[in-house]
Amino acid sequence: MGLNGRWRFFARSLAVRPRFAVGYGLVALAVLLGLFAPLIAPYSPIEANSRAFLQPPGPAHWFGTDSVGMDIFSRAIYAPRIDLTIAVLGTLLSACVGTTLGALVGFYSAGRGPRAWLCNSVMRAADVLQAFPVFVFAIALVAVLGQSIQTVVLAIAFVNMPIYLRLMRSQVQGIRSMRYVEAAQVAGVADHVILRRHIVPNAIAPVLAQLSVNVGWGILLTAALSFVGAGVRAPTPEWGSMIASGFQNVATGQWWPSLFPGLSLAVTVFGFSLVGASIEAFSDPVRRQDLAAAMERRAARSAGRQLVKAGI
Amino acid sequence: MRVARYLLQRLAFVLPQLLGIVLVSFLLLKSIPGDPAVLMLGPTATPDAIAGLRAQMGLDKPLTSQFVLYVGHLLHGDLGTSWQTTRPVLDDLLQRFPATLELVTFSLILAIAVGLSLGTLSALRPHGWVARAVDLYGLAAGALPDFWFALVLIFVFYSAAHWAPAPLGRLDISVIAPATITGFLTIDTLLAGDLEAFRSAVAHLVLPVLTLGLINAGPIMKMTQSTMQKMLAADASRYEALCGIPERLVVRHALRNALPPIITIISVLYGYLIGGAVLVEIVFSWGGAGQYAVQGVLNSDIYPVLGFVLFSAVFSLVVYIIVDLVYVLLDPRLTH
Repeated sequence: MGLNGRWRFFARSLAVRPRFAVGYGLVALAVLLGLFAPLIAPYSPIEANSRAFLQPPGPAHWFGTDSVGMDIFSRAIYAPRIDLTIAVLGTLLSACVGTTLGALVGFYSAGRGPRAWLCNSVMRAADVLQAFPVFVFAIALVAVLGQSIQTVVLAIAFVNMPIYLRLMRSQVQGIRSMRYVEAAQVAGVADHVILRRHIVPNAIAPVLAQLSVNVGWGILLTAALSFVGAGVRAPTPEWGSMIASGFQNVATGQWWPSLFPGLSLAVTVFGFSLVGASIEAFSDPVRRQDLAAAMERRAARSAGRQLVKAGI
Repeated sequence: MRVARYLLQRLAFVLPQLLGIVLVSFLLLKSIPGDPAVLMLGPTATPDAIAGLRAQMGLDKPLTSQFVLYVGHLLHGDLGTSWQTTRPVLDDLLQRFPATLELVTFSLILAIAVGLSLGTLSALRPHGWVARAVDLYGLAAGALPDFWFALVLIFVFYSAAHWAPAPLGRLDISVIAPATITGFLTIDTLLAGDLEAFRSAVAHLVLPVLTLGLINAGPIMKMTQSTMQKMLAADASRYEALCGIPERLVVRHALRNALPPIITIISVLYGYLIGGAVLVEIVFSWGGAGQYAVQGVLNSDIYPVLGFVLFSAVFSLVVYIIVDLVYVLLDPRLTH
């Protein structure tokens, strides 16, 4: 399939699986809001109007105001800038380091020499890292490195790296015994060229599916860290810290400071999960065939309807 | 005999793993800025007093000897002292860990009930509306932040409807806690015959268990759905259906064969939830172990965090060993 054919396949699969379209739409919305927030938001996200605190949603403030008088709608629209940036950077960092290490470990782990022992030790170290409670580990990292956006990115990267390590390692271990790899080795191709040209492109599909879901988890982890006060500091608009500042108000009946940021957060993460499901469907040959069959059924149905309309 | 040998083999792997976990947490937590002696004595302390306390706590020795000292204390059951509560960490954890365990256990029971039933239903009719709704529920449950969902439930069932009690801990303020036998309030109140306290404990458990259970049912549901689909499409199930065996028996047999990967997911979830329930504990002021650890990190109080990491790691390892034993019982092929 050429590049044109791939885009047409993609577009038609969105028509057949509307949930994928919803996912891509939500992600696009979040990215657009992050980019164009200053143009869309009616108020400044850090301007506190102390006379208008805790206003319920209304025509002046669509999502209401919080306890210091900041407009929640504007803050909820500015929040994707921080949340998406942190989550995407953290996920990309963990994916790059994890897949590189995982490919190397998967490729060299055969046999019994010192290289295999090194690969084994890396996996045991990953076991130890994964045995930690994720949230406590992330908070401890932020506490060690100091509280800033960069350290939250590093914490997300650290916590997610073992996932890519294991994923890539198992994929590479499956592929390195294939005939074409053996043929390349016999032909004298260097190891790193084999990895780059033959193994990694064939192993990468589950990693891509995991990337999108991981960005969603990264947003959740950022929000959770900010909720306990170990993430992004006030007054920077961030969904988790907005939920935290509205926390006490929920019990007294003011639901809007916590509900709207959480809803935006959940909807965005939901979009990323759907995109991840779509990438998984595209990269699995069996499910691609199911999609192609569904597209043919849809085309046949619309052709049949046109025939009926023409009176045949 | 085979079972005993298997147990010993697993335990042999467990000890170096535990040591690794303790080492990494020790190094990590020792890097957190903040001098515990200064924090314990307060801002008016004299430099001499601080130096004296540091010497007493062993903080002026090199890291390796501090670690060796710590491991030595561990082997005697001494997990250090928390400067915030001024109590031994072991006592603090023994008081708080059952609270977390009770919450997580009941949430897991709910998650298993919801996940198994919905997963099986959606596997029976793979293209029906139940399967599609279940897919969406799985995706939504993975996207909701648990602390936010807890707040929504509090608003709906406490602030608006006044059904649930206030989210202020495990019991009403007016109710006296029973004598601690297991640490599980539901069990202890029944053992003490205190029905009012029992009702209060259950009422306070409803919202947090709903939060954690509904959100964490997702992975169990997905694993049940995929394994049950494979089992129901397998030759054995189709042969049973051909022989005229009623559908519910076919499903029950398929479920039994589908259990191993589902049990794996449940065990991983159990270990994860001990640390993962932290945010719900904070929202409901539960007084659990995760909350204790988070406060420790935020206040540079490292022994509670080390103790909690150790507790949850040991707990996960025990769960995995029990699960492996359950596998051996379930799958007769494994003993050969």
